[in-house]
Amino acid sequence: MHLSADPSSGSVQPEQPSIVKDLGVAPAPGRAGKVSASVLTARRWITVMAPLVGLSAALVLLCVQFGTQWIGLGQVIDILGHVLRDGSVESEQIGTAGVILIQVRLPRLLLGLLVGACLASVGVVLQALLRNPLADPYVLGVSSGAALGVALAILLGIGSTFLALSVLPLCGFAGGLLSLVVVYRMALSYGRLPIHSLLLAGVILNSIFSALIMFITSIMEPNRSAGTMAWLMGTLTAPSYPALGILACYLTGGLFLLLRQARRLNVLTLGEESARSLGIETEQVKRQIYLLSALITGAVVSVSGMIGFVGMVIPHAVRLMLGADHRLLLPASALVGGMYLMIADTMARTLLTPAEIPVGIITALAGGPFFIYLLVWRKDRFT
Amino acid sequence: MARRQQGILTGMPFMANITPRTFVDDLGRKLYLAKAPTRIVSLAPSVTEILFAIGLQEQIVGVTEFCDYPPEAAQKPKVGYAHPNIEVIVAMQPDLVLAPRAFLRADLLAKLEQLKIPTFIVDPESFEDIPSRIQMIGRMVDRSVSADAVAKAMKERIAAIRSKTEALSRVRVLYVLNSQPLITVGPGSFIHHIIGFAGGVNIASKADVPYPRLNMEAVLKEDPEIIVFPIGKAEGIPLGDQQLWRQWTSLSAVKQGQLHQIPADLLNRPGPRIVEGLERLARLIHPEAFAASVAP
Repeated sequence: MHLSADPSSGSVQPEQPSIVKDLGVAPAPGRAGKVSASVLTARRWITVMAPLVGLSAALVLLCVQFGTQWIGLGQVIDILGHVLRDGSVESEQIGTAGVILIQVRLPRLLLGLLVGACLASVGVVLQALLRNPLADPYVLGVSSGAALGVALAILLGIGSTFLALSVLPLCGFAGGLLSLVVVYRMALSYGRLPIHSLLLAGVILNSIFSALIMFITSIMEPNRSAGTMAWLMGTLTAPSYPALGILACYLTGGLFLLLRQARRLNVLTLGEESARSLGIETEQVKRQIYLLSALITGAVVSVSGMIGFVGMVIPHAVRLMLGADHRLLLPASALVGGMYLMIADTMARTLLTPAEIPVGIITALAGGPFFIYLLVWRKDRFT
Repeated sequence: MARRQQGILTGMPFMANITPRTFVDDLGRKLYLAKAPTRIVSLAPSVTEILFAIGLQEQIVGVTEFCDYPPEAAQKPKVGYAHPNIEVIVAMQPDLVLAPRAFLRADLLAKLEQLKIPTFIVDPESFEDIPSRIQMIGRMVDRSVSADAVAKAMKERIAAIRSKTEALSRVRVLYVLNSQPLITVGPGSFIHHIIGFAGGVNIASKADVPYPRLNMEAVLKEDPEIIVFPIGKAEGIPLGDQQLWRQWTSLSAVKQGQLHQIPADLLNRPGPRIVEGLERLARLIHPEAFAASVAP
């Protein structure tokens, strides 16, 4: 009953070994068994999630102080109080530090939290769905579709605004939707959606689209191709609050719907045959999960470019700590992914100040070695 | 022309070929040209502009697809830009290839050398070096007179602008090279230097790289008084992206409506038109200095 995010999990019964308990994505009997042997109870869910939520909030407060200009916590509270009292974000009232905090740093941190959460969650879901430890949100081919949309928009010089939103993300999203449809149609065979065709279709479309992107950048004027490359590298910019609001509604809605699939996902990791024999409508579940993941990824890529490794490494790390029950793994990964990206982005905008580093570089530099660690020293996770 | 006269004057026409015709390019490579080249390939829009400015339109046999000034340049056969087609270049049988250092791939240069196609790298470090590069090209192609004239006119205009803006207070300038994400010019870049010359101070002066991705927080903190957007067919900032900047109402530039456009070609191309870019920028930054000079 405390599992408000998952209506079906009110039925979790600690005394009855639930079928989900040992369904690690890549079960490692010795190690993972120890963790997931404890059946997920509402209490365990709370004891894991509550500290994570607290930690995320604390981290927001910590990261919000760093930047080109140090804004201490006292000043942050001052400014926030001022804004809440007067409802004004004009520089006359809150000063330059206030504008930096309210209009740039805070929306960017929140965007980082959101994007990181989505990337990590989609990573969790796809690793389970595709039963492939290398899966990340970008294997669906949607990301390169979005990137292609943006590259085309830049090439054609489209750059008007639409409903206070920059049009670039919209072009990206349109490209993402297009590739979603293409991958889906390619993978579909006889009304079913085989997992390997989904994976292959995504990978193939990725390489075709990357080739097109490279073609576009090669014919661009070099200054502009540098801008396109900078965009593709993955970057977080401060969104306006209306844009952030729309995005937040869309993405949290998507995450919530993904979370509702957690239970079925647990069973699906057993293999489709077994899942079907346990009464899961595997085709329907796969289709829903694919569509949700693709829609989330498309939106994320179109606002932030390709931020690598969050969607691949965070799920592994969290699974290592918490076990493979998706009802817990999914929300926990979301929070950890959000925090990870928030820290990475804080470094990205602080280390070289006043210049900044593309955040994708930092996530990859920090995430890559961790993945190597898993690969070399924790081989059991992948076998 | 100049060469022949000199030869006739000395009574020894062959002297013309003995006069120093060895040139050192910006990579320090020596190039010996026995006679003035007649088939020239330009691998940069700036070089094409220089060649046209000193009256060599007949000798140009190949240009890049971005060479659009003067308009006649666009009619010339194309060889590509960032990835020039080596076969096309060879087929043009050039006796001189003039190339910039940026975007020129090392393998292309090596191949041109291997094919014994004379290649000369033009890479002025700052815009004040441009007149001397024009003169150098003029000497190579026997157009010293017109090249010297172009260079002299440029130097005079630069000096005139400098004298107007030198004593004025510095205005904080943000040059938006790319809007999403924000990329600007930093120390070591051409445009950074030009901004200083035009009487401004680049707000990204503290950055360590020539083309930094500037943090929006830094922009708010440095508070530019004027924001300049390059515009143009292939390389400008779209109008919509420029409009997005108006949301930053705390910036002095936005408050005072100092968002300006400048044709990107005038500042991006280290050629003869750079003085025009400099002058436009100076007029944007210090309109008062130029208004005063027109009045008397």
